[in-house]
Amino acid sequence: MSMTMTQKRNVFSVFRYFVLTIWLLIVAFPIFWMVSTSFKPDREWFSWPPVYITENATLQNYLTVWTDFNEYSTNEETKELGQYTQSLQRPWEALGNSTLIAGIATLLAVLFGSVLAYGVSRHQILSEKRMFQLLMLRMVPPIVLIAPISLWYRQIGLLDSIPGLVILYFLTSLPYAVWMSKSFIDEVPREMEHAAEILGASRWRTIWEVVLPLVRSGLVATFLFILILTWSEYLLALLLSKTDVLTLPIELSKYQGSTEGRVYGRQAALSVGITIPLVFVGLLIRKHLARGFSFGMVRR
Amino acid sequence: MSRIELTNLRKEYGNVVAVNDLNLTIEDGEFIVLVGPSGCGKTTTLRMIAGFEDPTAGEIRLDGSIVNDLEPRDRDLGMVFQSHALFPHKNVADNIVFGLRMQKVGKEEQRRKMHEVAELVRISHLLAKMPGQCSGGESQRIALARTLVTEPSNFLLDEPLSSLDAKLRRELRAECDRLHEQLQKTFVYVTHDQEEAMTLADRIVVMDAGEIVQMGSPIDIYSNPVSYFVADFFGNPAMNLIEGEFVQNGSAEFRSDSFTVSLPEKYKDISPGKGTFGIRPENVQVSKANGGDTRNIGLVEPLGKDTLLYFETAAERPFVAIVEGTESHSSGEPVELSFPGDNMFLFDGTGDRIRA
Repeated sequence: MSMTMTQKRNVFSVFRYFVLTIWLLIVAFPIFWMVSTSFKPDREWFSWPPVYITENATLQNYLTVWTDFNEYSTNEETKELGQYTQSLQRPWEALGNSTLIAGIATLLAVLFGSVLAYGVSRHQILSEKRMFQLLMLRMVPPIVLIAPISLWYRQIGLLDSIPGLVILYFLTSLPYAVWMSKSFIDEVPREMEHAAEILGASRWRTIWEVVLPLVRSGLVATFLFILILTWSEYLLALLLSKTDVLTLPIELSKYQGSTEGRVYGRQAALSVGITIPLVFVGLLIRKHLARGFSFGMVRR
Repeated sequence: MSRIELTNLRKEYGNVVAVNDLNLTIEDGEFIVLVGPSGCGKTTTLRMIAGFEDPTAGEIRLDGSIVNDLEPRDRDLGMVFQSHALFPHKNVADNIVFGLRMQKVGKEEQRRKMHEVAELVRISHLLAKMPGQCSGGESQRIALARTLVTEPSNFLLDEPLSSLDAKLRRELRAECDRLHEQLQKTFVYVTHDQEEAMTLADRIVVMDAGEIVQMGSPIDIYSNPVSYFVADFFGNPAMNLIEGEFVQNGSAEFRSDSFTVSLPEKYKDISPGKGTFGIRPENVQVSKANGGDTRNIGLVEPLGKDTLLYFETAAERPFVAIVEGTESHSSGEPVELSFPGDNMFLFDGTGDRIRA
């Protein structure tokens, strides 16, 4: 029996939605689990069969992580845990540090990266080979850089400091910034700039009035992409600054001990807190994101 | 008064010579068309005049003063691009006043001039739209308006119509002509389309491989090509060009696999050797078979006023003749072809025209 084209198309459509739904479930489940766990009382963290949506929702995890971190837990059962974690937790300081470090490093990377990308796109200031070398920089496993960098950082006093991490994050995300913003700048036809110039606009005026508005969405997308990377960076932060300068991923890792295992509820509550700022930034700039990530905003 | 002079203008990209010591003077108010196949250096020449490319050597003078080192915006030029290059994030009105804003013209003046020029190119109804909402033809009118409004002394047009369909192209071609009549400014127009060149130009500059091969009025170029290249480039349908050789066999003759033509008296001293015989389709005389050398008509293509007759030859390109549309011919019909001596073009083995 043969199917008509419409039938075939319908079957394909059903199949596509089926696959997409499965994929969505796989991707969304950890997020759901994180939010769900953050409201669970401690006895449900490990319970079997698992509790998907708790009937004993509590804010205790949030309170402990974000407000009572210097108090002993009132819950007798987790008193031990509270003791263990108590002296080390500085979530608000970590939030401040992360905001400062990721924010500044990302801004610098996008700023310098896009200027560099403009030069590469329009004046070939870096050869194709150099551009690839720049990208290869990202291929180096960070761990191999740790030893020389920490030695060097110790000498010049950048170890365990905010500028130390900002510089490192800025440098490691610069390749992404250059490559991503270049792809957006390449899309602005050269003739459009020439048109502005011959109509009397200066170079700066041309960039400001013609190029920048056309790549703005792309730069915003680049900004968010790099912000996500630096916001959640763990390894460099762990090894280059652990005592004085604490960032959120490091703070998160502290809710586990060698004997107690992971303190899931607390970690989940902290994770939700770490995620919210990124979601918030994403919502603020969402009109740019759809255009920026679709890589095709200039209609010719 | 505005005159563009190019002296020994040269542009090299690495080892490639894009423009080879070009000399050209464009007079005030002239409509000049640079034409040639892609890669012939016409666009590079235009871009050097505009200031987007630095010449490797040579001088560009506008009104007598050298402008090689001036920024494009200081050269008193307007330019229209093939891609229109409208600013997609500004509406049509803002696109048009962009140049005036850069010149710090007052707001009132801006508005007045914008409406004036929109009227001139008939786009007043589009002012509030975004470029993305306009058709290709409308976009090119907007691009024209944006350039016109700044009142430059010279207009550079870089294949402005080549992205449009045939009907729009004809329409906007007429528009360009009208604007030139009305403004009496200098127009430098680049195209690879011989028909645009023929219809628009006061003077055509034919370029090939970075050099000017011929310069002259359209009719001069058409009726007096200096080489095989020019002869082949102009005319639609193209000139019939048959490769073969010239022989002295008592009298001067041209011979190829398909044709043997005895050459008129003025070519009696032609030197034997390889060469090309050319005749335009409209100059081929077709007559009923009458005991002479006949050949059979291949395809018959009636166009109304004229009819095109195609003949198979040994060469890849068919031989074409144009006859009056009122004559009736059919495929397979034997006819005799003759070539009036005054309309023959002969080219030597290197492609240069052989003159009597």
